[in-house]
Amino acid sequence: MKAMKKVLVLLLTVIMAFGMMACGKDDKDTSKDLPKTQDSDSGKKDTPSDVGSTEKVKLTFSIWGGQDEQANTQITVDKFNASQDRIEVEVLAIPWENYLTKLNSMATANELPDTGMMMETAVIPYAKEGMFADVSDMFKGQKVLDSLAFTYDGEIMAYSSANEVLLLFYNRDMFDAAGIPYPPADAANAWTWDEFVQTAKLLTLDSSGKNATEAGFDANNIVQYGCSVENLMWQLEVWAISNGAGYFTEDGKELIIDDPATIAALQEVADLYLAHKVAPLSTGATDDGIPRTIISGTVAMATNGQWNVGTSLKSAKDEGLNYGVGVLPYMKEKVTICTGGPTVVFAQSKHPEEAKEFLSWYNSIENSWKLIEDGIWMPIFEEYYTDESLTRKWVENEAFPPYEEYKSAVVDYAVNNTKRAAWYYTNNIDNFYAVLGSVLGEVWTGGDTVENAITSNIDVLRDAFEGR
Amino acid sequence: MNRPLKKSKRRRSHISAKEERTAYLYLIPAFIGLIFITYLPLLGVFGISFFEWKGITSPKFNGIDNYVRLFTKDFFFVDSIKATVYFALIAVLGSMIYSLIIAMLLNRKIPARGFFRAIFYVPYVLPATAVYIGWSWLYETNFGLFNYLLARIGINKVQFLASSRLVVPSLAAISVWLSGNLIVIFLAGLQNVPRIYHEAAEIDGANAWQRFRNITIPCMTPIIFYNLLMSLVTNMQIVVPALSLTNGGPGNSSMFMTYLMYRYAFLNNQIGYACAISFIFFLIIAIFTAILFITSKSWIFYEGGD
Repeated sequence: MKAMKKVLVLLLTVIMAFGMMACGKDDKDTSKDLPKTQDSDSGKKDTPSDVGSTEKVKLTFSIWGGQDEQANTQITVDKFNASQDRIEVEVLAIPWENYLTKLNSMATANELPDTGMMMETAVIPYAKEGMFADVSDMFKGQKVLDSLAFTYDGEIMAYSSANEVLLLFYNRDMFDAAGIPYPPADAANAWTWDEFVQTAKLLTLDSSGKNATEAGFDANNIVQYGCSVENLMWQLEVWAISNGAGYFTEDGKELIIDDPATIAALQEVADLYLAHKVAPLSTGATDDGIPRTIISGTVAMATNGQWNVGTSLKSAKDEGLNYGVGVLPYMKEKVTICTGGPTVVFAQSKHPEEAKEFLSWYNSIENSWKLIEDGIWMPIFEEYYTDESLTRKWVENEAFPPYEEYKSAVVDYAVNNTKRAAWYYTNNIDNFYAVLGSVLGEVWTGGDTVENAITSNIDVLRDAFEGR
Repeated sequence: MNRPLKKSKRRRSHISAKEERTAYLYLIPAFIGLIFITYLPLLGVFGISFFEWKGITSPKFNGIDNYVRLFTKDFFFVDSIKATVYFALIAVLGSMIYSLIIAMLLNRKIPARGFFRAIFYVPYVLPATAVYIGWSWLYETNFGLFNYLLARIGINKVQFLASSRLVVPSLAAISVWLSGNLIVIFLAGLQNVPRIYHEAAEIDGANAWQRFRNITIPCMTPIIFYNLLMSLVTNMQIVVPALSLTNGGPGNSSMFMTYLMYRYAFLNNQIGYACAISFIFFLIIAIFTAILFITSKSWIFYEGGD
């Protein structure tokens, strides 16, 4: 017993030592902050050493990404720090997997960075808790596309740092071989869904070379599929909207996923594999649509986001892939959806004005240019879509499909036919998509119909949507 | 085992008390590690599970609401227990049988034995995500290798990962393939089975099966127990395939508990709720481990033990 007591005492001592170390750290931190708060004090400075430190406002800017991205961001931020003498920005790099967790714990401790990148899905949950400073006047003079504003209760909470829209990518060689005209590159001539399915049938070939419209076509030995429509939950909504409904009402407040038009639209997508046999089976579990389809050379047409131009198609093009880009087919309404991760100013920041100034500089076209010219990002400023000389500066580039095609299929489409992805205006969307993904899980293999899956689980979906 | 120790404690001399003190002193670093890295967090998880904590805002105490929600309303939870137990069952039994067979083959005097031993161990040291992604290409429904081979012999496509019926067995098969560490431990165990027993049995006219059944297996029971335990704990905590391949689907058929926990905690920011799942999960593993320990007394054979 005596020995046990001693162990206990020793343990307590150790715990206290840990505790004191922690306190000591806090003390240091607050003392570091002190000079900042003193500088408003009638300008009277006792010691000469204060002069330098009171001048600059220090900001932290949180980012995610690998080492390369960190290094790139650091270079940009260094440029900003060198360009002026009032603000100094420090980069706080957090691994992507831990980003939100880290921000959450910083938020509870009232220690959020001044500004930072934000995941699309976390914007509205954060906005709801009042975590963002107002940034609606961030880009003075330069107009950002309306479709890129995250809104909560009608107020703008953040702007995307990049623009992305959903498109139809296709393999030109497969169309040429079948002697079929390419998919339309402008919304005015967009295919109806039936035209799309019909074309896909002509492009679906079995091992003996027969297409899906011919007698004797062997659906068990398909070597080339006509199309693949991405069925990640957020991308799937475009078909529900196209069919005149959606997952949610446009104010993001009501769930309309059991609308017959939504159910019919989702079933159409599932039927590409199940009924028409023109698409490979995809369960929407992985986010590699274009590499899996167009780049692997097994599918003639595939829907996905614009970023693929830069992230995967650019290098495939260098290796000989002859691809083109067109607008999505439509059911009732010619529509695509857009997305883009935002950068925000946190409400806990003591220097929101300076943070906004930095962000507006950081999001300038010059600083995003590398990603834009690679085809990974599209500009956020309206003038790049409306002023032809600027559009040419952006699109006339080896990495892109031909100018005329890209201009009407992407640039004009993004201005005229775009609705926002649901996370721009709906709370707790991650949870909802997780549940919806499970609910629709059996649909893609034909184990269930969309109608039955949604109507029999509508309470679960409603519960997930209303959130907790 | 315990009785003699107690006796000596009573007769503890001054010197042995001192020695004991020194022993405790040396144990302190390990204790501190365990306490701060294992036990305190465990208590923390238990504590947090009684709060509603969304991450951004401060935690709100809500009693046993999280647990009530888990068992009455949660869309994923019950399926997730089923998926986890089902997976662990197949993976543990599969990898035990597979490893024992491979270990026995590798224990024979075959040519290039060292090479084969390395070959079967390699999967275990490969990065898990890469392994699963690689297997997903083999399993792929449309153009995967397995389906290509099946098509060549005229069998219709099999939806290894896309069908809710097959996804867990398919993933468990990968886990079996990954069990190189079990092989190594079995191999070590096999080499400790006294050769003399086998020789004696051979003289008595026992065939290979009888020798395996009555000599190898009994001598191996402590090793089998150890492997069973390790394999159970590892396979219950399965998460990588759900993270990298299936997202818990199709439906909820591969919604393993660790993955569900991760999703609630880090994607949906329901930390308190995730802690409740975590704690239930801890209890489930504890129950399985306890069952294993209790039943072990009746089937483990310790050489030289009473």
